[in-house]
Amino acid sequence: MDALDYSPQVKERFERPLNSGRLLGQAVTGGAGDEALGTRVEFDFRIRGGRVEQGVFRAYGCPHAIAAASWVAESAEGRSLSDTSWMDPLSLASLLEVPDYKLGVLLVVQDALEDAARKAVRMED
Amino acid sequence: MISAKDIIYLDYAATTPVDDRVAAAMCECMTREGVYANPASRSHQLGRDAQGKVEMARGEVARLLGANHTEVIWTSGATESDNLALKGVAHALRDRGRHIVTSRTEHKAVLDTARQLEREGFEVTYLVPEDQGRVTEEQVRQALRDDTLLVSIMHVNNETGVVSDVAAIGRVCRERGVLFHVDAAQSAGKLPLDVNRMHVDLMSVSGHKIYGPKGIGALFVRSGAASRLEPIIHGGGHERGMRSGTLPTHQIVGMGEAFRIAGEEFAAEARRLGRLRDRLLDGLGRLGGVLLNGHPESRIPGIVNVSFEGVEGESLLFALRELAVSSGSACTSATREASYVLRALGRSDQLAQSSLRFSFGRYTTAEEIDRAVAIVSEQVHRLRGLAPKKVASGERQAS
Repeated sequence: MDALDYSPQVKERFERPLNSGRLLGQAVTGGAGDEALGTRVEFDFRIRGGRVEQGVFRAYGCPHAIAAASWVAESAEGRSLSDTSWMDPLSLASLLEVPDYKLGVLLVVQDALEDAARKAVRMED
Repeated sequence: MISAKDIIYLDYAATTPVDDRVAAAMCECMTREGVYANPASRSHQLGRDAQGKVEMARGEVARLLGANHTEVIWTSGATESDNLALKGVAHALRDRGRHIVTSRTEHKAVLDTARQLEREGFEVTYLVPEDQGRVTEEQVRQALRDDTLLVSIMHVNNETGVVSDVAAIGRVCRERGVLFHVDAAQSAGKLPLDVNRMHVDLMSVSGHKIYGPKGIGALFVRSGAASRLEPIIHGGGHERGMRSGTLPTHQIVGMGEAFRIAGEEFAAEARRLGRLRDRLLDGLGRLGGVLLNGHPESRIPGIVNVSFEGVEGESLLFALRELAVSSGSACTSATREASYVLRALGRSDQLAQSSLRFSFGRYTTAEEIDRAVAIVSEQVHRLRGLAPKKVASGERQAS
């Protein structure tokens, strides 16, 4: 796949990203990456009854970063953040057809999710 | 999938469409009804007819440069012209010196050739433009050494459109007896040129940057400097031995016609492009967080290079695929390397990667500029809205 040639899933989530935005009120926020290095991803999760009721993302990065963050924010809903193993960068790379050289971007997305998960656990404690 | 006909072409600094008048002139030099013979075949009328066409075209190129027609050598393009200028001088004069002066923001055709000469044992000084992308005569003066053979500085930068004062630099070179080469691929047909007033000894120009065909260019070689130029292509002794190879009559005629038209029309065209540039900058400026790259005044009207704060470069480029624009990064399959020109101007990697070059020309309309501004505004707003930190509107304006 050439640069600027993206899978239909990435194009769709880049152009119409689901679950983007910011949650007001009580929500747990996690983030990872650095804009100066090309990728920064943040998640807000509203948790009720131990599960994510609503998840949103903010992302500065390439279309793969935006698509992956959108997918994670949406997929987190209904799940407990005590287990984030469902976010496997290799599987997500396969699903979104992310080229190998962009795996680092997916690791930033994973780090942002895990940062939010750690904060959620602390909040429960 | 966006249809090609729906894409707004704003990449005239990369190449231009061939002008219909140029294409018509070229078509007269290809088929049996036309002037198709080898211009080197002077033993028959058809060959002499072709030679006549070639010499008329040479005269048009010479006229635009303020040169004598005997001082114009045909090449395959500005890249070959740059190679011939740098290698030709270095190889011919290697016994007199080993030093060359150029700048970090030159086109790769000069930089890669300079690197090759370094591998051959020459020393190259790469000046970093001090004046918002302009190389100054004082920088050149301070870089010159007793063993300097050649100074090579571009007239107009291909990424930023910034114009350096080559006449002042040429004066310094002339005073010191150093040959001066100018890559004028982006200025020929856009700015007045006069190789004598500019004290230029060698000047590279291209056909396809001003509505001529690709695959043809020329090198101005000042009379007298020719003896100090070693050819890089041998075989047949064409072009007074400086560039062998059968002359492509149709390409040459196309370039000649393109230069003739440019000579007649560029002043009016520059005024029109200036109005389009102002329209573009006014529109983009309303976005906020848009930084103009390069000198704000010393620039040609047809190139605008801006950085967008708060927007990642790859996403920006993909979001703007209705526009044919150039990115501030070299986009390969594995890496995105920030523009070396913008980095040399002091832009961070991040801002350099979030930069776009809009270049417009003869067929660009005000409606296209307005549409481009609308598309860019919509997409930059959208991407900034997705980002963790929003750039405050109006924080910085394009200037």
